[in-house]
Amino acid sequence: MEPVLVAQALNAVFGIASLAIVALGLAVVLGLLGVLNLAHGELVMIGAYCAYVAQVNGWPYLSAVPLAIAVCGTLGYAVERWLVRPLYQRPFDTLVVTWGLSLLLRKCAEAMFGLGYKNLREPIAGTVEVLGATYPRFRLVLIAVSVVVLGALFLWYGQSRTGRRIRATVSNPDLARALGVPVTRYASATFVVGTCLAGLGGVLIAPLVPVQPFMGFDHILMSFFVLVVGGLGSVGGLVTGSAVIGGANSVVSALSDSTGGYFFVLALAILFLWLRPRGIHGRG
Amino acid sequence: MSHDFIPARRRILTAAAGTTVLVSSPGFVRSAFAQPNEFKIGFFIALSGPAALFGPTQRACADLGAEKINKAGGIMGRPVRLIFTDAGGPPAETAKSAVRLMLEDKVDLFIGSHDSATREANIATIKAKVPYIYSPVYEGGECSPNVYCLGETPPQQAQPATEFLAKEKNAKAFYLIGDDYVWPRKSNEQIKKYIAQYGGKVVGEEYVPFGAPNKFEEAVTRIKGIKPDAVIATLVGADNVNFNRTFAGFGLDKTIARLSMLLEENTLMGIGAENSANLYSCMGYYANSPAEGAKAFKAEYLAKYGAKAPQLATIGADCYSALNLAKALFDKAGANDMKKLTAASEGLSFDSASARVTMHGRQVDKDMYLASCKGTEFEVFKTIKAVKSGTACRA
Repeated sequence: MEPVLVAQALNAVFGIASLAIVALGLAVVLGLLGVLNLAHGELVMIGAYCAYVAQVNGWPYLSAVPLAIAVCGTLGYAVERWLVRPLYQRPFDTLVVTWGLSLLLRKCAEAMFGLGYKNLREPIAGTVEVLGATYPRFRLVLIAVSVVVLGALFLWYGQSRTGRRIRATVSNPDLARALGVPVTRYASATFVVGTCLAGLGGVLIAPLVPVQPFMGFDHILMSFFVLVVGGLGSVGGLVTGSAVIGGANSVVSALSDSTGGYFFVLALAILFLWLRPRGIHGRG
Repeated sequence: MSHDFIPARRRILTAAAGTTVLVSSPGFVRSAFAQPNEFKIGFFIALSGPAALFGPTQRACADLGAEKINKAGGIMGRPVRLIFTDAGGPPAETAKSAVRLMLEDKVDLFIGSHDSATREANIATIKAKVPYIYSPVYEGGECSPNVYCLGETPPQQAQPATEFLAKEKNAKAFYLIGDDYVWPRKSNEQIKKYIAQYGGKVVGEEYVPFGAPNKFEEAVTRIKGIKPDAVIATLVGADNVNFNRTFAGFGLDKTIARLSMLLEENTLMGIGAENSANLYSCMGYYANSPAEGAKAFKAEYLAKYGAKAPQLATIGADCYSALNLAKALFDKAGANDMKKLTAASEGLSFDSASARVTMHGRQVDKDMYLASCKGTEFEVFKTIKAVKSGTACRA
């Protein structure tokens, strides 16, 4: 095959993988708790800044992972406990609260780090030959990590006892509570996992994008499209949504230009909201 | 949900409303503190949105300029007051602010340091009723009445830079990539002429949506397949950072030269030292410019704001230059009258943040600096004296 074709195919895979890893946290929180967390993008941003803090202090890149989990986890716990929990079943109010939170987090990042672009070195630099095409190593690593994280989550959610209990909580909270499932604690834990995954996504993409307080918006927009297309509540939906949105964006961008790719993504999202609002894998 | 929440929420709402009223108190409340004789300047800078990155520098440079003018007796003997107004949002919002500044604050002059789309909206709104100085780098050709442009134009930036790429870097095949709005498209129209003039050809041209969540893997792979000798980028801000990082990430920096039409210190910092090889820029101002005027300006700036001062860059320094132009222009014209100002502008000399410059046809002829990126610093390797703007507006 032509090296350019191979590279464009890898770009499509990378587009899907990077989108899935960034959308994962949003999918968990929206799919399982029914909370559209508009501050998701800002949690990705915080994850990226954790990677920046690690770099500035000379810590190894991987140390950003526990740091992001600690910061985003703590934040997620506090947000769920004091902002989201009183507002379950009030989706519009949650929307407003998390939107306000996103503004606050952005301003906090601005106050701490300023508005300037932060430049993160790729922890694994350079390029490698793949089927005749030279491709950046770190992007390949990101693809692999996304596959592993999504696969692990898929297995855990489908097979483990906790996964079963979460599914019970999601489908019928009252019955689950009656059967002794600690619904409140599971909701809290699910939210924390969602925010930690957002932070992890931020750590992973940080060396590839401009890191600045406004970066969150870019990521929540595309993540939201993923969920619109894929449907809520399953890993399969997330993967399908990422494949459709990320893949279409990459392929159309490669064939025409980014304007075409972006137009196509917007058109797809509108079509799905109109004709198939529950998405491809939607429940119920 | 418990109902005792509601009064609390109402209290919060009341408090929020009160705060909003205070913060957005209209012009008449604020101008109660004004002196009657002031020369009021509606100053458009980026206070919100992605361009807000430049806001602190713009404000600091403008304040420094105003302070110097006031020490020297103000403009036409009147003390200068700057009314900073946000131009970081959509153009229509900024144009609304322009109306308020004209009707409520009754400003004597507008100065704008923002993108070209906003300039066009502002000009359509102000309709030459108030003079308007537009300060940043732009596509050239702006001849609306009572508008005075200060920024670098494509003939000033692109002509010397294309000549350098063609002659020194032996570039024959050029690829153009830009954000999809007026500045990149109009600049590229002119850039293509220079490429043809120096015997090169354009092998690709593409635009990415302005303000969309862009990624550049596909464009960079396309460029890699076409193998141009040089890429000329009219991308701004985060897109510029993202493109250049991806470009170097794919290893293209080693073989393909890059010229960025709006590359300043903040953007270069974001691109990073390991991605800035073979990257060039041609601007009228750099923070470490070798020009004596720029050195003096930087010394004054650092003396006023200290080591923690916002990063000096061309966007920001242009605000200082614009105020110097305002003083020279109004003092020479002697009145806020379009005909007198237009006449006074011809051949007018004033100090920019870089050097002494001259206005012709309501544009500025200036020295240009070709720089290559060394890590996250610019290294000026060629100065081209008194380059003409290429636009000559009639009086």
